[in-house]
Amino acid sequence: MSKRIVITGLGIISSIGIGKDNFWNSLIEGKSGITQVTSFDTSGFPTHFGGEVKNFNPYQFVSRRRFSKIGRASCLAIAGAKLALEDARASIADYKKERAGICVGTTMGETQVLERINEDWLKRGVDAIQPESIPRYPSNVLSSNVAIELKLKGPNYVIPCACAAGNYAIGYAYDIIRSGDADIMLAGGTDAFSRIAFIGFNRLFAVAPEKCQPFDKNRKGMIVAEGSGMVVLESYENALKRKATIYAEVLGYGLSCDAHHMTAPFSEGIKEAIEKALRQAGVMPEEVSYFNAHGTGTLANDKEECLAIKKVFGEHYKKLPVSSIKSMLGHTMGAASAIETIACCLAVKNDVIPPTINYQTPDPECDIDCVPNVCRRQKINIALNSSSAFGGNNACLVLKKLS
Amino acid sequence: MDKKRVVVTGFGIITSNGIGRSAFSEALFKGISGIKPISLFDTSEFKVKTAGEIKDFRPQDFLGDKGLRNLDRSTRLVNSAAKLALQDAGLEITDANTADTGVTIGTTLGSVNSISEFDKEAMKEGPHYVNPALFPNTVINSPSSQVSIRFNIRGFNATISTGFASSLDAINYAADFIRLGRAKTVLAGGVEELCVQTFLGFYKTGFLAGLKDSSAELSCPFDKRRNGIILGEASCILILEELESALERKVKVYAEILGFGTAFDPYRVNKYSLRTEGLKNAIGTALNKSSLDADKIDYICSGANSTIEGDLFETMCVKEVFGERTKKIPISSVKSMIGECFSASGACQAAGSICAIEKQALPPTINYQEKDDRCDLDYVTGGARNAKVDNILVNAFGPSGCNSSLVISRFRS
Repeated sequence: MSKRIVITGLGIISSIGIGKDNFWNSLIEGKSGITQVTSFDTSGFPTHFGGEVKNFNPYQFVSRRRFSKIGRASCLAIAGAKLALEDARASIADYKKERAGICVGTTMGETQVLERINEDWLKRGVDAIQPESIPRYPSNVLSSNVAIELKLKGPNYVIPCACAAGNYAIGYAYDIIRSGDADIMLAGGTDAFSRIAFIGFNRLFAVAPEKCQPFDKNRKGMIVAEGSGMVVLESYENALKRKATIYAEVLGYGLSCDAHHMTAPFSEGIKEAIEKALRQAGVMPEEVSYFNAHGTGTLANDKEECLAIKKVFGEHYKKLPVSSIKSMLGHTMGAASAIETIACCLAVKNDVIPPTINYQTPDPECDIDCVPNVCRRQKINIALNSSSAFGGNNACLVLKKLS
Repeated sequence: MDKKRVVVTGFGIITSNGIGRSAFSEALFKGISGIKPISLFDTSEFKVKTAGEIKDFRPQDFLGDKGLRNLDRSTRLVNSAAKLALQDAGLEITDANTADTGVTIGTTLGSVNSISEFDKEAMKEGPHYVNPALFPNTVINSPSSQVSIRFNIRGFNATISTGFASSLDAINYAADFIRLGRAKTVLAGGVEELCVQTFLGFYKTGFLAGLKDSSAELSCPFDKRRNGIILGEASCILILEELESALERKVKVYAEILGFGTAFDPYRVNKYSLRTEGLKNAIGTALNKSSLDADKIDYICSGANSTIEGDLFETMCVKEVFGERTKKIPISSVKSMIGECFSASGACQAAGSICAIEKQALPPTINYQEKDDRCDLDYVTGGARNAKVDNILVNAFGPSGCNSSLVISRFRS
């Protein structure tokens, strides 16, 4: 199969910026989007910070009527998709609708809808559950809602593979176009700020009190966040034909499963996914110029991830810049790896590596070059985006600058 | 490049009318219903009292006693089905094959009970007191991941949520992975558990049978009396394998996955539409990909679930695709016996299709009595029937716009 697939549009809604340009400026400035949580009362919790998207005006992207019928995760996904199409200067009207599709990754789905249902149920009984809220919940509505808004009649999938879901979705969309089953795909991830995730991660003692410090010796955990990231994928030929701006070529991807533990990260599995991705892409480890880490800021994740990097890259690891943008955004769950793919695209395009902020104290177990605190101008030919998820599911994507 | 062929070398199934391949197959051709009064939760406040509940499910029988405590019902069901599937295919996961083996599960609401109970517990007791060991169950990919963990399957693990089409889409995702050389063997299927959350969802949105006064609480697809869904629960896992790998293992090949098509109707969420475009496109693509002419389809394993619009919709689509020959193609609904198992349905239909190929017989649509003039096809209503069955079309569609079709065929070397 020789078809080359490229990324030609980026759409992002995040705590550090809405739209590609705002997002990128914040990234290279090392701006943090972490603030006191306002989505719900955190007074009963041990921590109070999160990466919420502020200043998001849904009516800029959906009608009031549509807004009243969908949850926040769908809304973020629609906004991301519209921004991505706009950025690609592509209109679905120019494609056969049957050959335009969407893949969306998520961790919690329409979590806020369910949280509201649970509240009503618990406080006032089954009869208090609003029937109209029910169809907004099932996870498959995420891609459906985007497709309805944009009139996409092609492949339509929600791939809820937790915190690696964005990469899963982009990977499958890449396969779909390569196999000839679609001409254009929107793909990415979305998650709304989740009380359930906030409860759970706090109970696992995995949440940092105020800031996320990946790879730092004194790192205290992850920060729960929300957002959405969507990219436009199409064939290289098609992109050339319509004179689109190409951010990067997708060279391939690799999936693996730790088959080890539901929540504990595991270097062997992470390594497997990276190696598979490199193998499919036909790229040698030494050729990789930037590694975008999963880098959640938990003790276990960062340690295991660094171990995996050393296993794959051998001595090259010392020369390989590895950064975690979760230091700025927190962990946007199912959107994370999609947003990180967008960061990689922009890094490849602009030859700038976004930093890992909040880095103070080196950790001998994480002695990688984490691009501490300040972005770095450097030629980037090949970027890797590694992600891991609950369930031991790993996904790694390889992106290449188009020469 | 030679296209890799994807075959089925076994399956494991747990439904309300049978656990395991032979029990399910026997029930299917005898037309035995699995619908009975619900015992998993209290229905006294509800008008609807029955569902396709799996009554005699003992996960210990399949998985042993260890490591079950924190697993929710969906996870127990899917792991048990996986165990049955591995046994059926004579497949052992070893260090040699684990990296080339994957898992793909279709589920949409499989974790909703766990998610909702976790949240409610935290609200009741305070966020400090909820059991953290139950948090991993709140991700939608938890049932699927637990299959990989239990059986040490390291190639990949994916979950697909597309509502009613989920497990058919999961089978296609798996077949794609085999064709693209990403895996040699995939455990592919679906799971949905029966729980009060899912029941309430279908109940409150008016999709269940028996909600209106004097309407029958009955799963009777295509029948004039049909008035809604009887909810079911199930898990079904197919072992999909690259043909070469199956031949190397010298195992029985049950069927071949020939082709698949999917199309989305981007109109509305949660309301059936009679616009036939999407399913017609899905069927057309599936036939195309199978390199089969429409007249080669011997049987249609229907996605009809006893809703007024859904059954009519499929009838209309099939007629438009197959034209004059439609009335000669038998079409029946497994859901008449096991209810609507939502994301698990497609895989159960695929399993039923494999049984049909094996027995060279068609499973019936049960509970059929009164003819609806608009649904006038051969729905195999007089009990199971012997027939030549080489190529089967399996349809899955729902009120949220998803449409998927799969062609499963008798294996010809």
